[in-house]
Amino acid sequence: MTVIAFSDVDVLDMLVVAAVAVTAILAIAIPRRVGATIAFLVFGLLLALLWARVAAPDVAIAEAALGGGVAGALLVDALHRRQPAQPNRDRRRAVAITAVGAALGAVTFAALATVLSRLTAEPADLGPLALEAVERSGVSHPITAVLLNFRNLDTLLEIAVVVFAAVGAAALSRDRIRTVTDPGPVRRVIAVIIVPALVLLAAWLLVAGTSEPGGAFQAGAVLGAALIIAHLCGVRPARAAGGRALVLVVAGLLAFILLGGIGLAATGTWLALDLSWAFAAILAIETLLTVSIGVALAMLFLAAGSRDDAAAADRAADAPALGGAP
Amino acid sequence: MTTLQLFMYAGAFILVLGVAATLLVRDLIRRLIALNVASGGVMLLLLALADRGDGEPDPVPQALVLTGIVVMAAVTGIAIVLARRVEQLDDDLEEVEQ
Amino acid sequence: MSAAALVLVPVFLPLAVGALSAVLPRRAAATLTVIAAVATLMVAVLLGIAVLDAGPVRLEVAGWAPPVGILLAADGLSVVMIGLSAIAVLAATLVAAADDHFAGGHAFWPLVGAAAAAVNGVFVARDVFTAFVLLELLTIASVALVALGGTRSAAAALRYLFVAVTGSLFFLLAVALTYGHTGTVDLARAAERADDTVIVGAIIALTVVGMAAKTALFPLHSWLPVAHPAAPAAVSALLSALVIKASIVILWRIVEYFGPLTDLAAPLATAVGVAGAAAVLWGGVLALRRDRLKSIIAYSTVAQVGYMVLLVPLVFTASDPQVAWIGGILITLAHGVAKVAMFLAAGALATAAGTSRLDGLEGTISRMPWTVAAIGLAGVSLAGLPPTLGFVGKWMLVQASLDAGAWWWLALLLGGGLLTFAYTARMLRATFNPPGDFSGARELTRPARTVAIVPLALAALSVVLGLIPWLLIEVLSAAPMGGGA
Repeated sequence: MTVIAFSDVDVLDMLVVAAVAVTAILAIAIPRRVGATIAFLVFGLLLALLWARVAAPDVAIAEAALGGGVAGALLVDALHRRQPAQPNRDRRRAVAITAVGAALGAVTFAALATVLSRLTAEPADLGPLALEAVERSGVSHPITAVLLNFRNLDTLLEIAVVVFAAVGAAALSRDRIRTVTDPGPVRRVIAVIIVPALVLLAAWLLVAGTSEPGGAFQAGAVLGAALIIAHLCGVRPARAAGGRALVLVVAGLLAFILLGGIGLAATGTWLALDLSWAFAAILAIETLLTVSIGVALAMLFLAAGSRDDAAAADRAADAPALGGAP
Repeated sequence: MTTLQLFMYAGAFILVLGVAATLLVRDLIRRLIALNVASGGVMLLLLALADRGDGEPDPVPQALVLTGIVVMAAVTGIAIVLARRVEQLDDDLEEVEQ
Repeated sequence: MSAAALVLVPVFLPLAVGALSAVLPRRAAATLTVIAAVATLMVAVLLGIAVLDAGPVRLEVAGWAPPVGILLAADGLSVVMIGLSAIAVLAATLVAAADDHFAGGHAFWPLVGAAAAAVNGVFVARDVFTAFVLLELLTIASVALVALGGTRSAAAALRYLFVAVTGSLFFLLAVALTYGHTGTVDLARAAERADDTVIVGAIIALTVVGMAAKTALFPLHSWLPVAHPAAPAAVSALLSALVIKASIVILWRIVEYFGPLTDLAAPLATAVGVAGAAAVLWGGVLALRRDRLKSIIAYSTVAQVGYMVLLVPLVFTASDPQVAWIGGILITLAHGVAKVAMFLAAGALATAAGTSRLDGLEGTISRMPWTVAAIGLAGVSLAGLPPTLGFVGKWMLVQASLDAGAWWWLALLLGGGLLTFAYTARMLRATFNPPGDFSGARELTRPARTVAIVPLALAALSVVLGLIPWLLIEVLSAAPMGGGA
């Protein structure tokens, strides 16, 4: 039996990985939603730390912003709604199912580990190729070059994912997002201080993203957080309901497709960016994307976390006719 | 064990853990959390693979992970909306029965 | 516009129209969506001409070649599938425009645009990560579309979401392995560099499991008979006919590129074949036992998915794999057309009769003969009887089975056809007049004319294509599977 020696591994890396694994286990094992969500929040933050350890600062920022946002939405939801009681499963059956699941999981893990062990530690030559191409991309930060130039189709599709998720959420959300009418002094202070700070941070992340870690997604996530906080603190223009918000969301995607068409007209290939105007195009599209993503995320997570006073009337009307599709 | 191996196996472990929980747990929100945990595992694997070697890490997998994180956030958002609908319906049915 | 530029039109056009539909009123959204579907069909024809002329049409997006950039390519499969997508979307949106019950709500229009863009993207994708993002877009759109069926559909939609996203994560793991082993996520480049049997086998296995979940291949199929009937009728049509085709195409692509590289391909292919066989039998038997029209049609899809994966083992054992590929693709096309017809017709019957239970449909045949005829004709195509397109595809698969000496697939193909015939007959019989009643006096709300015509037109299309399949076969052979991009 081979002894697993950890001689090559940095102690800090080991600790962070161990912490990540522990919080992962907690997040799935804690039976109460509030507890599980808090463990998940910590898991996300530790992941962000781990991403920094693996030399991926862009991903770390995005994980912190988006992971925190997602966990936040889950937490608000868990705090506001009563967790439905699960029907009492026979104790022995529950243990049996868990045991079988654990066994299958262990087998799967062993199989995966065997396959993974066959991967070499040699870096892919794609890395140097991509890095070398960055100087022809219009920006100096490699991740931005990949996201907004080399593989910008993926980014366009990803924006589409966010946009249509927001469209779906807007259509499916029974609860009208309630405007906060009297926020109180504490919230007013928050609105005045924190919201502008977040908006500034978003702007900085956006502009810095061309040459340093940052970019539209991180900026969009921070902007989304700012919008949610603004809404909860009663700032009137931040009303995220309905048509006007959707226009902003959809505009980013349409602008990106339009840019693709401009590339086609100018260079003969969809989404191609001519080096002379690549930087300007990238910055412009990233600005629009930041707004789109910010508003879309705010819509998504406000819809997910809204209180349901307005829906009480809906429920009364629905009760006799709880029907589905023909 | 090298750092790469540590991260790869940890990623695989977290993925399997998350998928198993998604399939076995009953509570909708907990399953959603498990799904997010699982995706974290795959991301760890991709980022570990990006950082092989001594030079600068490969930006392509890092961009892929960034995309993946955004996609999972959108999916989670819509899943929460749906879960609320499902659970509110159950609440309504209980009220109607009472 | 050069042929290469055409490749992204079926993606960007529906996507843009979908985005606009989110903020435009219903009539404008419906009109734009129909126009986009017609335009996509025209693009499919143009691409087909280009493919017949010069083989696969390649597009390096943003001007960067792989491995740094993303490659898209339209081959024979891409062209015919984009054609199917255009026809399916056109049919579903015409009916939904005529009668809003089929749509389920205003969000139908933007979400259908997103779904159409996503499937068209998958049909031309040659990059596994782009495929992943496209599949996620498709999942979001489809899940939301299912939920449009009403509050009760939310549970079905959420179940579909969990299955689909778990499947995507398996596929993402396959993507990670591909990158880790070959240093690229482009299919062709990766296939050139892959040299470890175990890793390639794992990539195929993970993709198979992930796509099986998303396509509802036995035994991961149980979400489909719950989700498809819960959705509004036009959505069910698109889900069965189009959405599940995207994951099947990805499965085929991975098999096409990575299959020849590993010894593990043969046992994996056999496992897939066994699952397909189980699907055909399970789906067929259960379809015979259900009492609701839409449930029967949903289980019919479960069975047909079995046929679609049946080409995988045949490709590896037949001496001419092209026969197996083309046969399977034609069956998939036939299924797509037939399913749209069936679900739309079922929706029309259910709306008119007020129920979708079989025992509530008595007498509908005399009031709505065209609609019932559509179901019958579609069933004939699914059963693989001549002179339909389904027959042509099945015939080629039969040939491939005989060629490989695999008489068990042959038995399955024929047995499955009998089951299909049986449950189609059951559906038709339910619409007959009660014994002794020749008056057709049943009071029904007659559907809009479009709703009556479209399903029959689609079913007739299966026959037309069955009588002149040569054009399809030529396109599929001009840029065949395994031809490389």
